[in-house]
Amino acid sequence: MKLVDALRTVKAMQQREGSALRCGVASGFNPLHLKAFLAAELSEVFAAQRIEVSDGLYGDLAGNIERLESGDFDYGFVPIEWPDLDPRLGLRSTARWSGNELADILVTAKARTLRIQEALDRASRNLTLAVSLPTLPLPPAACTPRWQAGSFQLGLRAIVQSLGCSVSQSGRLRVLNSEWLDLESPLRDRHDPESELLAGFPYRLSHAAALAASFRRLVERRSPKKGLITDLDETLWKGILGEDGVHGVSWDLEHRSQAHAFYQRFLGALAGEGVLIAVASRNDPALVQQALGRDDLAVDPDRIFPVEANWKDKSGSVERILQVWNIGADAVVFVDDNPRELAEVKAVFPAIECVQFPPGDTAAVCDMILDLRDRFGKSAVMEEDAIRLTSIRSSNLLAESKSMAAGGLTPEDLGAEIVCDFSKPGADARPLELVNKTNQFNLNGRRYTDAEWSRLLSAPDSFLLTASYRDKFGPLGKVAVLAGVAEGRRLTIHTWVMSCRAFARHIEYRCMAELLARFDPAEVAFDYANTERNGPLRDFLTEILGEFPSPGYSAVRGNLRLPAEIVATPQETVYG
Amino acid sequence: MDDVEQRLTDCFLAVFPDLDRNAVSAASSQTLPAWDSVAGVTLLAVVEEEFGIAMEGDDLAALNSFDGILSYLRQSPAFTGGGPGF
Repeated sequence: MKLVDALRTVKAMQQREGSALRCGVASGFNPLHLKAFLAAELSEVFAAQRIEVSDGLYGDLAGNIERLESGDFDYGFVPIEWPDLDPRLGLRSTARWSGNELADILVTAKARTLRIQEALDRASRNLTLAVSLPTLPLPPAACTPRWQAGSFQLGLRAIVQSLGCSVSQSGRLRVLNSEWLDLESPLRDRHDPESELLAGFPYRLSHAAALAASFRRLVERRSPKKGLITDLDETLWKGILGEDGVHGVSWDLEHRSQAHAFYQRFLGALAGEGVLIAVASRNDPALVQQALGRDDLAVDPDRIFPVEANWKDKSGSVERILQVWNIGADAVVFVDDNPRELAEVKAVFPAIECVQFPPGDTAAVCDMILDLRDRFGKSAVMEEDAIRLTSIRSSNLLAESKSMAAGGLTPEDLGAEIVCDFSKPGADARPLELVNKTNQFNLNGRRYTDAEWSRLLSAPDSFLLTASYRDKFGPLGKVAVLAGVAEGRRLTIHTWVMSCRAFARHIEYRCMAELLARFDPAEVAFDYANTERNGPLRDFLTEILGEFPSPGYSAVRGNLRLPAEIVATPQETVYG
Repeated sequence: MDDVEQRLTDCFLAVFPDLDRNAVSAASSQTLPAWDSVAGVTLLAVVEEEFGIAMEGDDLAALNSFDGILSYLRQSPAFTGGGPGF
């Protein structure tokens, strides 16, 4: 993006009538054009809002981060540069560079970094922060030529790497990967000494544009893919199972098929992060079972579910897998080496992402896997991610059990246990994650920034209910979130979401009953809005209200229909 | 209005979006209240980017009006290049 384009975008964006998204840039330098690039980038992400970008005081990085904490910001952006660790590392300084000075610079850098870290930790409690570690070359203060790393440079880099490692463990603080920025902005094209001296802005425009675009990626609300369906022959392994046999297919160095092992290991990593992995293959199911049982497979076969091996169209297999997973095609990637199979699936499921596996081209396989990493990437793995596959398996067992039980299964039959937690844990990112990614059982589809969520929960009389569930088939983890305000005897529910994995267990009835028991309201208002995908929530409300809900619907408590036999699920309540 | 003047006008309008296109040629730091130090630095950055040149620090003081910048551009080696110029 050119600066002139950024300025035009910012001008056009200022005409928007939506609410303002307040962003703070905390830097030790004058962020000048970086602000314009950032506003332009963010205006594309938050298309309905006006983007307001403000900055702080020159030369006071830690203080500016602290001001982010106290300001009413939605996002904070923190580009750290070497002079923030010690001004003597900047072009504007006239301090001497002697051996003693360099040792003292390391001492100062450690002390300043500690203050920066503490400020980042505090600020990230209430808002999302995007941080870049120093992006500009170090000044030539040490004795070594540029191609040799000396103890001074390595010591400084160790200090900032330690800072990055520490703060990256916060769910609301995202550190820019320097390898990514290296790809987008070559090191030699980053520093603008003239601009640094003239205006206190050390970046060339191209580097400022690349940094702003990278910051955008860090805060952009993405929907990582949830499932990957893979072919087997010439994809999960090299060879054709039906022709080469169970021990003829390979994924090793000896058969020059190691790229397939790399792919298998990557699938295993995805599965460990909670991504669903399934197989759709035109193959003999008995042979497939044997091949997936080989003990040298580089992915745990128990992590692959379901396995659809048959001689029918792939789209039929994909359809069954989506039903078992209970997720939409738009959340899934289908990987196959055969373009015809990809086209057939794409024709039936236009929303599915189809990726062609390039057998025989190791470099292309590596590129494909890097691309898949970005599609499935997320900031952190949560407890619920680890048990997702288990809960899907248990849902299938539950469905099978229900179909066998003539009168249906009661919560007692299931050994169901619900924990309704009314505490407001600041460090638990799961409730907001659930709110921001749930589509089907969602009161209004509203998404929140970290800062908005913090404001909602810190409002007077606000409440948060987080429901966890387990039964004899296993735990589902935290599956439902309700948030709102209880004022007098009026209860207003602003947000209500429930994971699709928790459907058909009557958890929504229990949550409603628990709210009524806790707050004893005379009236319950639902901040309801119709969305393209919230049919399950709408059906539930229609059932308990006795009529189709309208936006802002309020119900007198006595008119809420909660079947007594359903709300009798054993449960534990935690009051915060 | 030739190509250089047209492009320079667009640079001014990007940095001073409230400025009337017909008033651009008369714009200067003396006549335009919005032309503060930040706007001045931004304007020069946009002009450098648009014309692919680097303005020298010693020349910046004279670049405080549309005419001044236009003259600078017309005399820039990047444009004259030893050739006929404009």
